[in-house]
Amino acid sequence: MANIEIDAPSTSQLLIGNEAIARGALEAGIGFAAAYPGTPSSEILGSLAQVADKLGIYAEWSVNEKVAMEAAAGASFAGIRALAAMKQNGVNVVSDFLANLVMSGIGEAGLVLISCDDPSAISSSNEQDTRPVAKWLGIPLVEPGSFQEAKDMTKWLFDLAEEIGTICMLRSVTRIAHARGNVRLGELPKRPKKARFDQVHDARNVLPTRLMPIPSALRHGLLHLKLGKAKEKFESSPFNQYVGPDKADLLVITCGSCWLYSQDAVKALELEDKVGILKLGTLWPLPEQLVEQHLDRSQKILFVEEIDPFLERSVMELVANLPADSPRPVFYGKRSGHLNAYGELNPDTVIKAIASIMGVAYQPRDSEYGKKAEDSTKGHVPERSITFCAGCPHRATFWAIKNALKLDGRDGLVTGDIGCYSMALGPAGFFQARTMHCMGGGVGVANGLGKLGQFGFDQPVLAVVGDSTFYHAAIPALINGIYNQSDFILVILDNNATAMTGFQPHPGTGTTAMGKPAKVVSMEALCRSLGARVEVRDPFDLKGTTAMLLEMVAEGGGAKVAIMRRECELVRGRKEKPPYKVHVDPDKCIGDACGCDRLCTRVFLCPGLIWDKKAGKAKIDEVICTGCGVCADICPQGAIIKEAA
Amino acid sequence: MMNAGLRKDPLNLIITGVGGQGNVTISLVIGNALVSEGYLVTIGETYGASQRGGPVMSHVRISKETQYSPFIPEGRADIILGMEPVETLRMLRQFGNPDVLTIINPRPIYSIDVTGGQAEYPDMDELMETVKQLSAKVWTINATEEAQRMGSPMFANAILIGALVGSGVLPLDKRSLDPVLREAFPKEVEANMAAFHKGVELVRQ
Amino acid sequence: MGMEAKGCKELFQGVIDVGLCALCGACAGGCPYLASSKGNVVLVDNCSRSEGQCYQYCPRTYVDMDAISQQVFGAPYAEDELGVAKEVFRARSTDARIKEKAQYGGTVTALLSLALREELIGGVVLTKTLDDKTPTAVLARNADEVLECAGSSYMACPVLQTYNHIPSDDNCKLGVVAVPCQVLAMSKMKVEPPENRVSVNNVKLVIGLFCTWALSPDGFHRFLRENLDLSQVKKFDIPPPPANRFDAYTVGGKISFSLDQIRQFTMPTCAYCLDMTSEFADISVGSVEGIEGWNTVIVRTDAGSELIEMAKARGKLETDGLPQENLAHLKEAALLKKKRALKEIIKRSGDKKDLLYLGLPQRLVDKLLA
Repeated sequence: MANIEIDAPSTSQLLIGNEAIARGALEAGIGFAAAYPGTPSSEILGSLAQVADKLGIYAEWSVNEKVAMEAAAGASFAGIRALAAMKQNGVNVVSDFLANLVMSGIGEAGLVLISCDDPSAISSSNEQDTRPVAKWLGIPLVEPGSFQEAKDMTKWLFDLAEEIGTICMLRSVTRIAHARGNVRLGELPKRPKKARFDQVHDARNVLPTRLMPIPSALRHGLLHLKLGKAKEKFESSPFNQYVGPDKADLLVITCGSCWLYSQDAVKALELEDKVGILKLGTLWPLPEQLVEQHLDRSQKILFVEEIDPFLERSVMELVANLPADSPRPVFYGKRSGHLNAYGELNPDTVIKAIASIMGVAYQPRDSEYGKKAEDSTKGHVPERSITFCAGCPHRATFWAIKNALKLDGRDGLVTGDIGCYSMALGPAGFFQARTMHCMGGGVGVANGLGKLGQFGFDQPVLAVVGDSTFYHAAIPALINGIYNQSDFILVILDNNATAMTGFQPHPGTGTTAMGKPAKVVSMEALCRSLGARVEVRDPFDLKGTTAMLLEMVAEGGGAKVAIMRRECELVRGRKEKPPYKVHVDPDKCIGDACGCDRLCTRVFLCPGLIWDKKAGKAKIDEVICTGCGVCADICPQGAIIKEAA
Repeated sequence: MMNAGLRKDPLNLIITGVGGQGNVTISLVIGNALVSEGYLVTIGETYGASQRGGPVMSHVRISKETQYSPFIPEGRADIILGMEPVETLRMLRQFGNPDVLTIINPRPIYSIDVTGGQAEYPDMDELMETVKQLSAKVWTINATEEAQRMGSPMFANAILIGALVGSGVLPLDKRSLDPVLREAFPKEVEANMAAFHKGVELVRQ
Repeated sequence: MGMEAKGCKELFQGVIDVGLCALCGACAGGCPYLASSKGNVVLVDNCSRSEGQCYQYCPRTYVDMDAISQQVFGAPYAEDELGVAKEVFRARSTDARIKEKAQYGGTVTALLSLALREELIGGVVLTKTLDDKTPTAVLARNADEVLECAGSSYMACPVLQTYNHIPSDDNCKLGVVAVPCQVLAMSKMKVEPPENRVSVNNVKLVIGLFCTWALSPDGFHRFLRENLDLSQVKKFDIPPPPANRFDAYTVGGKISFSLDQIRQFTMPTCAYCLDMTSEFADISVGSVEGIEGWNTVIVRTDAGSELIEMAKARGKLETDGLPQENLAHLKEAALLKKKRALKEIIKRSGDKKDLLYLGLPQRLVDKLLA
């Protein structure tokens, strides 16, 4: 990650959006940052944690976003500027706290929530726009349209939060968060930080809370006043810009990464003199007067924004409230079908939308070439599905689970959860997982299934979570399973890393975000103290693990825990050499013949194993193979040989 | 190689490969070098789930005028650096045009769709022929082979950066790369510098 | 054999999912996809092949009885009730330890112990009853291990899965103790030897057991658990008709169940089996009605004769003539099983010409139906 604390104001650095946000927070003089890893937000806390010690600030990976948000609020209550960062699902998790925080107000120090959405759910379980949360709960909302703005807005948001006395939110998306661009740095202030909790009180409240609790409904009214102040400031914010002709054939109203796409599109279509772009950075409360002024420019308005037609709806509300004789422009966007209502946008979709509305033809490239490109590549570009890395312990775990459940014969199932192991929904994990929702969701669902014996339910239930997920969300559900005696096995995949998001530490790994040694919260000690049967196994012992799971599902009788412990291969591989040298003996390999049918390359699916079609044999890809040796144990002919390296 | 300036604004470069190959490292090195020479650079990348063996593409937009979006529009790639053959073809199909310049590392990485029997990996000779048909010019750099000869497949990244810079397709001076490379490869600095120069040598053969 | 391509898909459709599976284990353990577990054959992963040995060797897919008989005896399928029978007599072990543990005469245990000691075989695949009274198949390599397996289980056990588990490059000479359906599967393997599995030429000795039907390990074991304290049970026995009983010999004495209670656990497939005496084994062994502590022995092949002679010569086996009455009853029972099975097959197929899996010469069919 880039070094975000360099003291070089006015120089230009290549930063990803997340690093720019982190830099903005530093330039705002924050003292406290908390988050839970979540793509595409992880680098915000990650880059702050790297420099926190040096700068004398605090950054932590909390067990989940709820605690992160609450902890950051705590810092704000005690006068320390604080930030919490998360992906869209984290916002869901903190929503109850937020709903109450907007009522209480923040402390003397600004508190900012950074929410990073994942259009197209490239790395998520769901596709969700968090901007409506701002409207729903009453939180001033901004969205940066460039990497520079990501920094500048974050910095400004702390001032805004303090001025009006409530938490403020910045919404980003993958294509800003993870994309890289030029950012001109500002100054790093030497801001004195002295923490002291006086009361949850902001100077803007009419009555101090110490005297008596103000009824929530009244606080709600106070919130409306605050939002009104925010709206006023938004009307004159430099984050709202217009570029284009005075009167345009088409007005594009856009925000966020879509601003960049819109610019790309207008340029590609060479319509700079016909199409104007109003880019809003302050989204909610909508700066209505500003928007109203620009509505005059055109009778056609195209809304370009990521995920929901949020801006579109806000402007619709505005237009609905205009005097009856006001011109009513035609709206284009997701609601009209000119832009996809789900899945992310890109310059090409915006180009197509504008071209269609403007009635112009657009040729991305020479049409003959285009045809040649299509025809000559047809069928020659195989898909590249994702799978567990070579050497991943999860592959071994799901192999053992699959075998155990098949041998048990009662159509046992796995409720899945969030992490690399979410891939168990597909061929990578042998289709073992049959449900996947939110963090810890699988354990909750397993609780329900495990109580259905009285309705004739007899299928063994396994809830699979990763180690980080365990600390994040699984514990209450496990307690429920023990207390209510639900019949399921909680399988914890302990690879000692929050791997999916970039190997961030957690309560089991022994270090903190800032690299300091941490107390290890032993998951088996914790589970045993709850009164559950707890087994710990190495998933690479396929036979032993399968036998143990087979026995555990047969046993029945209330929630149990099976911990599959083996370090993530990507982490192990950086520290140690491969344990084995693996090769396939072509004389013993029978390939697709009866007795094997290419088990290793067709079913086991480790990317280190390749099928040599010509020879009719499997072989090891030496560049990909990590030498874990597990494939040697699954070959029915003993043709895969592992030798201690 | 003298800094020739931008022959086109924006100049669009795609770096494509498979998750774990080091795609991001290359784009970072090139990007930082360009920024140090005063360019506005936007780099768009796909990561997260795609790291686990899925395709990874970096779109690099280089301009003197403005900050472009992190997506290159269809058919508008000027340069494609393909770290893997099928991914190179995938990019040419969507982003290629008659003027595109292609640098390719012809070492296949089989997806599980291929090894699992659902799909077939194209014939390499045919693939290379198609790449040539769809590009104005093609440089074939056996980066993985060279890297393995040097001791580790991970040196392929530095070799390919060398090839990219050495080919002259980018407005980059070799000398701008030095500090950026050293920062990007803190371990085995000298070996990576040697790999970089090897790449320059290979592309000029 | 030599029919259109059929694999595990057809095996499930035609045998396993329609109640014809005998749990013999011939399809299981020879590849990663099929396994016999908890009384069922399950598909552990999907096999993509359209044809496979699992279908080929199943005793409930097409069986050409003449071809098998040619392979084993060099003659077409015998029309005699007991099959090819060079000799029929009664026998028992002379070893007190064996007799104590044995179900009847301990003949099987005695023969195997000798064969192992004389290195005629290096291992034998057979059924062992575990402490919880579930049957499991094991590969025994010495006389002590064989002795642990003495005693009848009455529940179906996939013995051939354990045979299939033997590594394909293993050269050890083998014996197999099997029930008729398993012997039939084994015989199919001898006709067309399997590939990529342990070589069937390693099998030097097949001892077949008499069998009228087998009990489902899943259902019947639940019945046993519900009605007995299994830790107190020493032995099970089904005495000959007209007793109509299933006996459990416990520490506290004998507990009996009416066979009418037990019949519901009979494997459905047994109704379609014609073979009561394991007609394709080297030696077939059963009880002797009315004479406790002895076995009825049928010797069928040269390999069988040689072993019996050796056992007698070494004083390991005591033999005597089988009373005429017993022989007559045995033949009657065997014939009855053939007739009943054929009737059931035709009832199921609905057509006299469709014998489901059975390839029998027409003249024999007519004779049996007459």
